[in-house]
Amino acid sequence: MENPNTTNTIGQEKILHENTIFAEPIYQNKNFTITNALITSWLAVIIIIIISFILRSKLKEIPKGIQNFFEMVLDGALSLCDQITNSRDLSLRIFPVAISAFFFILINNWLGLVPLGGFGILERGKEGLSFIPFLRGGTADINTTLGLAITAVIGANLFGVFSIGAWKTLNKYVNLKVLGEIGKKIKKEPTVILVAPVTFFVGLIEIIGEFAKVASLSFRLFGNVFAGEVLLASMAALVAFIVPIPFIFLEILVGFIQALIFSILLTVYFTIGASDHDDEHEHEEKKEVAIIN
Amino acid sequence: MESIISTFHIDLKIIIAQVINFGIVLAVLYFYALKPLNKLMKERSEKIEKGIKDAKENAEVLNNTKNEYKDVITKAKNEAHVLFQDGKKEAETKKNQMIEEATKEVAMMIENGKKSLENEKAKMITETKGEIAALAIKMTEKIIGAKLDGTFDEKTVNEINKL
Repeated sequence: MENPNTTNTIGQEKILHENTIFAEPIYQNKNFTITNALITSWLAVIIIIIISFILRSKLKEIPKGIQNFFEMVLDGALSLCDQITNSRDLSLRIFPVAISAFFFILINNWLGLVPLGGFGILERGKEGLSFIPFLRGGTADINTTLGLAITAVIGANLFGVFSIGAWKTLNKYVNLKVLGEIGKKIKKEPTVILVAPVTFFVGLIEIIGEFAKVASLSFRLFGNVFAGEVLLASMAALVAFIVPIPFIFLEILVGFIQALIFSILLTVYFTIGASDHDDEHEHEEKKEVAIIN
Repeated sequence: MESIISTFHIDLKIIIAQVINFGIVLAVLYFYALKPLNKLMKERSEKIEKGIKDAKENAEVLNNTKNEYKDVITKAKNEAHVLFQDGKKEAETKKNQMIEEATKEVAMMIENGKKSLENEKAKMITETKGEIAALAIKMTEKIIGAKLDGTFDEKTVNEINKL
């Protein structure tokens, strides 16, 4: 799969500027390939570490500058988190993961936009010399987004195990409880013999749903960011000056929105993980009884 | 699946590396930024809440003190007024009493004065009477004595002059 490419020349030979759908390898260390997306991610980690240390060293009771900004962000993000979880306690537990994902993705997205992509190495491939930039947006590599999505989904389930217990979390997918209740309820409600297998099957579908979550999270983020990079490259190839500027601003916005969407979805998955279906069901039944009465 | 892996160059090692990267970000952000910042914000809001509560309490205490102060002042004023009135009454009574006593004393003194004057007068009269009687007796004696020895006229005149 190839994207709009540009070419330069060194002497007689053409250099290919290619926007590949995968991150290009920069350095091979035994079995481990260091790609340009991985380097960008390390850079993002270093930036976050530096900002964190600066923030930590400048923490004061009366906030100023960077602390003021981060307090504002923290407060806003926490209230947004509250809207999803409906509980401050739950928000405070999910929030560190969500905000970390947000900053990690945001900086990775934006690093793909900085013009440092001009630095790189020339490598001789099948089609001649091709230019490989040192930096590529970390999230423009499916490995990064897949890693984050897997972390989010596994994290949500682990969070569920710690919040409501392993048995209840297991019953969301392999609903043994509902099968066990057939014997108990069959005299009262004969329909249970039809409902219980359906419920059990729905549980199994949830397992597929978890894989779908990984796919949707990773491909959404990767697709948006990679498409942005291709768009910018295409615009730059068409008209080198001025024309790409609005698109850069658009990509800054897209980078922010995608980071926000990912962290909001992560919060939603964590909240679902920590919610107990039985409690909700009982609560609804009580409500119904109350309404009937 | 194979085609997806080869197209996107999906590499488990890089995925793990990225998960580790995210883990580092999470740990650093949590321990160096979120936890202390959250703690600080919580402490600050607690302080502000306490400050507002204290200020309310202080305002209440101040209000109560003002009211108490007003009450005390009013009470003191009333007491002072009562004391002043009592003092005034007492002073008046004492004044009247003293005047009365003084009048009585003066009357008594006048009475005593009168009495002693009368006594003195009576005494003087009695004494004068006695002296006159004695004088008369002496005169009589003299007159009678001179007649007998014929020197009455001259001696009597001298005697009387000597008196």
